[in-house]
Amino acid sequence: MSEALAIRSEILKLARLLERDPESLSYLEQVPAEDIRAVRELATERMFDAGGGVLSRIALASKVIPTGLMATLTQRTFGPMLTARIAGEVDPSRAVEVAAKLPPPFLADVAIELDPRRAETMIGQLPATLLSVVTAELIRREEYVTLGRFVGHITPDALRAALDSMTDSDLLAVAFVLEEKSALDGLVDELGLERLEGVLAAAAAEGQWPEALDLFANLSGERAELIARATAGAEAQVLESLFAAADEHELWGVLLPMLELLGPEDRARMEARLPEAVQPSASEVRSKP
Amino acid sequence: MADDALNGLERELHGPVPPGLLRLHDSELRDLATAIAAERHRQAAALAAAGDQALGQLPRMIRIPLKKLLG
Repeated sequence: MSEALAIRSEILKLARLLERDPESLSYLEQVPAEDIRAVRELATERMFDAGGGVLSRIALASKVIPTGLMATLTQRTFGPMLTARIAGEVDPSRAVEVAAKLPPPFLADVAIELDPRRAETMIGQLPATLLSVVTAELIRREEYVTLGRFVGHITPDALRAALDSMTDSDLLAVAFVLEEKSALDGLVDELGLERLEGVLAAAAAEGQWPEALDLFANLSGERAELIARATAGAEAQVLESLFAAADEHELWGVLLPMLELLGPEDRARMEARLPEAVQPSASEVRSKP
Repeated sequence: MADDALNGLERELHGPVPPGLLRLHDSELRDLATAIAAERHRQAAALAAAGDQALGQLPRMIRIPLKKLLG
């Protein structure tokens, strides 16, 4: 994966945690992605360590409160942040019952404050229909980093429902900031070739080639080939836009390995359109054993 | 001064600063430490306020279910 893209992704995630404009953290562009991630994880631990005693007492008390009353209390008294912190301490099936009684905008507020790693069992039990509605609300708010935190923790059914709530452009934005990039394979498995072609068209139309190339760079085996084939089959103007973006963002190192995955016809078609300046690099890729 | 900025961030992270951040200027280290502290304080204040309010209301609101539970 391109380190520059990984750094950009990590700055977006840290900026979301700190409620800062990503541009204001641009000085982190010189810091390796893994170190920015380490800072975010340390800061998250620090923030989530607060309030342990109160959280446990409320979680304990919640055992004897009827679900309806608990939902009312949750929304009117606890608020999103406290709810997010106790979500991991309450019995998961009970938390799911309460969640089902809460309005999607409130659940979206909770999702923003939640660390999915601390409430994994509960998240895994949430119905796909509920997650789909909450996803739509988070998409409406452009909460891509929040969604990216959840993808590795939801069931395939829920992932399918979530993907249906996203445009191709949204999908690229979420994939770019995915917390666990290993979840990208599962995500692409749900898409199929037709949707991938739409994703590439969105990348061209919305200037999201860095995000699309990051998606390609993080996929394994057959899925990377699928993206490569969809790219090679794209219209000429889409390819021109891709090559212009590779130049602008210095992403040839991510793009050229795509040629290795193509059959002779597709490869020749791509190579014929490559700018002259990168033709020698493309030949090097071709001559690799 | 450099040590102050670094120590400030270490205190905020409760651990050693990852090595890549040693490339940053003091002002940048301080900005990062300040941003983390500000968000931590915001969250702690919101949690404390919600926790106090919730615990203040719980005894009254769980009285009936508690009675049922205890017979």
